[in-house]
This record gives sequence, C-alpha cells and structure tokens, in this order.
Amino acid sequence: MEMQWPLILFTLFMAWSAGVFGTAAVLALAGGGKRVQMPALVTSVVLLAVGGIAVFFHLEHWDRIFNGFGNPTSGITQELIVIVLMAVVMVVYFVYLRKPEPVVPRWLAVAAIVVSVALVVVMSHSYNMAARPAWDSPLLWLAYLGNAALFGPLTVTLLAASFPDAEGVSEDAPEAASAKAVVRAGSVLATSGVVGAVANAVLSVAWGASVMMSAASFTEVGLYWDPTHPNYPIVNPAEAANILSGEASLLFWIGVVVIGCAVPVVCAALGRRKGAPAVPLAGVGLACAIVGAVCLRMVFYSAGASVFMFY
Amino acid sequence: MARYALAIDCNRCVGCMACNGACKMVNNVPIGSFWNKVLRIGPNEPGQDEVPSHDFYFLPVQCQHCENPECVKVCPTGASHRLPDGTVQIDKGKCIGCQFCAMSCPYGVRYLNEEERVVEKCTLCEQQIAQGELPQCVTNCVGMAKWFGDLDEGIESFRGPCGETMGDFCEPFDGEHDVHTLTDVGNRPSFLYILRDHTWQGKE
Repeated sequence: MEMQWPLILFTLFMAWSAGVFGTAAVLALAGGGKRVQMPALVTSVVLLAVGGIAVFFHLEHWDRIFNGFGNPTSGITQELIVIVLMAVVMVVYFVYLRKPEPVVPRWLAVAAIVVSVALVVVMSHSYNMAARPAWDSPLLWLAYLGNAALFGPLTVTLLAASFPDAEGVSEDAPEAASAKAVVRAGSVLATSGVVGAVANAVLSVAWGASVMMSAASFTEVGLYWDPTHPNYPIVNPAEAANILSGEASLLFWIGVVVIGCAVPVVCAALGRRKGAPAVPLAGVGLACAIVGAVCLRMVFYSAGASVFMFY
Repeated sequence: MARYALAIDCNRCVGCMACNGACKMVNNVPIGSFWNKVLRIGPNEPGQDEVPSHDFYFLPVQCQHCENPECVKVCPTGASHRLPDGTVQIDKGKCIGCQFCAMSCPYGVRYLNEEERVVEKCTLCEQQIAQGELPQCVTNCVGMAKWFGDLDEGIESFRGPCGETMGDFCEPFDGEHDVHTLTDVGNRPSFLYILRDHTWQGKE
C-alpha cells in the first residue's frame, strides 16, 4: 500500500502528545516536576494540534468535515471523541496549573494518564481492519503505546532541563521535603525513560512478529493475470508481509530495530547513571525515537496489503 | 426489502471484458479506475480427477455489496451506506475523502475520483435496478455469465439480459461444491460465483 504521509504524521504526533501528557501526569502523581508541568502541557497541546492539522491533509474534502461524525463504529469518529475528551482534560489540567498553588490533584493526573492511553489505543484500533491482515492485531495498539511511552519521558527530560524544579521551589517550602521531591521527580523521569525505551523495543519487535505471522491470512490464487494492468508484476501474497527480508526489511531492521529501539534503550540506560549528560542523551534518544516511529509506520503501510490483493 | 446481488457463472465467462467497457460507458468511470474488472485465474495445476489439463478460469470482480460491509462500518459520515435493497452505496455529497472505506475493503474495489475528490465504486447500476432493469454489466455480458437477482428468491431465479433465468439457462451446478464467494473476513460478500469441474482458487 502507498505511504499515507498525513496519517503517518497524525499517528506520530498523537502518540507523542499522549506520551508527553501522560509523563507529566506520572510526574504529578510522584509529586515532583512542578515547573515542567506547564511547558509539558503546552508541548502536548501543540503536538496534538500539529497532528490534527496533519490529518487534514489526508482528507480530500476537509471542507465537509462537519458533515457529521454520527457513525460510532467509525474509527475516525472514535478518535474525534477521545481527542475532545483529551482536550477537556487538558483544559482542566491547565486550570489547576494556573491556580496560585499549582498542584495537580491525583484524580486529574490519573484521568490524564487514562485519556492519554485511550487516545493511542483508539487511534491505533481504527487501523485494525480484517481486510488488511498485517494491520489486524492488538499488538499495533501496544507498539504505538510503546512509542508514546518512549517519546514522553525523553521530551519531558529535555523540558525539565530548561525548567528545573530547584528554581521553582518556594522559599517557605520545607527544604527537606522540596529537595526530596526534586530528587524523586528526577528518579521517576529517568526510570520512566528506561521503562519506556524497553517497552517500546519489546512491543515494536512483537508487532513486527505479528506482521510476519499474518502472512498465512492472505488469499492465494496461484498464477493470475489482470488485463487492465498487463505489465504489472504478479503480486506474491507470501511476500506481502515479509518485513524481515522483503522490500521493507531495511526500514524494519535499521529504522525500527536499531535506530528506533536499540539506540533509545542505550540512551535511556546511560541517562540513569549519576553525572550522565541527560540533555544530549535525551536529545539523541528522542531524535532516534522519532525516526524509528516514522519507520515503523512506513513498514506498517508497506505490509498493509489487502487480503485479496489481485484487483 | 431485498438482497440484490450478482451470480456469476465462471464456466461461461470468456474474459472479453465487455462488462468492464459497459460499466465504464454507463457510469462514466474515470480513466485508471475500474468499478469492475475480469481477472484470469491460472493456469494452475488441476485438482485430482479434473477433466481440463490445467485449471483456468476468468473471475469478474467488483464491489461484492456485502451483507456486513466493513466500508460502511468505518465511514465517519455515513456516506457509505447499505440500502434496503441490499446494495452498498456512497452518498458522494457526504464523503470527506478519508479513504478508510477503501482501506477496509478486502477486495480493493473502491477508487478515489481525483476530480471530484470522493470515493466511488460499483453501484450495481442502482439507477437502473431501481427501475426494474439490469445492471449494465449483466446486460452486456457476451458469455451470459453474469446474472442479477434477489438472493432471498434463490439463485435459480436470477435474471439474464433476454428474460432468461439462471435456473433455466445455465448448466446444472452443485449448490454445495460449485458455488463460491470471494474471501470472507466477516464482511459476508453477497456475490456468488459458480465454478464447475475446476478448483476454486483462494479462500472463501
């Protein structure tokens, strides 16, 4: 199937936005990262908006967008509902951060995590189609969640470097408690980075395995000929989802596995060491994570042949 | 209420593509788009005890007007919808061109009309069948391979271009072994394919 770049960017930015918002909420639950909350929220809003704009480039008639989203079984309708829910939680989050004592309540942090996860799951679920065997697996949800779990901590680490908690500690706060909170937040962020990187690696590879296993689902008709495309080569269903050694293998091995999975794991692991240069490591890790996530989506479309692929 | 569909006698199809040309003319199908086409399946090794030395048949393919159409499920605006007569249609005025219907179709029979920027496909010549006429691909079928009718009334009642019925005109077939559908992934395709003395290629 042809690359659908607007959808590649849409799913990338949605996962990124959800990852940043979810990580900010995890930090809030841990009781730290107070100064980074607002920049993280703004970043996730911007990423959500960029993703939303990207998807418009996929629509041929975006001028008819309000024709109605009345079909609840449509993945696009479901995505819109969750995006609206996420926007509502973001607004409430913003209101709490603008209070004189900017503390995110636990219920709100939990709601932010839930809606972030829901956004990624619903978004990826809309691509689960029985007609496209390589897409029709819940492992796609998990692979996109892995992307989000990687993007979030790395992005928030970069933001936290510009908005360190130590500068935001109020003068009348108990010194020991504040210092503890700062250390705890740093530790949570570093651990989240490692957990996210490992989860992303495991889930991306698991998704790749599910794509390979979909090969048996394609319809075979032996030799055939399409007189409307007399010079097209015969498609080979056995190779349609072969991402390990087929046409998309370089994208998978180099782009997804090495750049998108291995490098971020190394960066996140090194970043946990005492005195490690967190910002350059997070920067390299994030850049590689983005490249890997784009490659994963390219592999997704490359393997996305329909079950009856001869028309 | 009806369940309009085509029954296609693959043993009669000569692969002339008259259905393809007729559809293009009647429905003004853009260049590069095909609301129907005829695939040649084979030559493949014959099955045991089969008379032909090689398995070889023509397979006319178009929208299968499924009973549980995935394209209708994924359409955000309701542009793709199923009519009471069982056909799946597109309200082009509602289509936003998201093309999820094209992605969700197991058969790849939906096309984006580049000029109108909406998705199109076989309508089973709704403009004609609503008036009691036949779809143009049936009318113009040179080999009398394509037959139109209501599944609720039985495949033998399907009509041909000169008033014949399939039950009267076509050679007998075994309803259990000779009647096939394209690959069904839960969408329940309505079109039936009759193939005698050959091995049906592909899943059903």
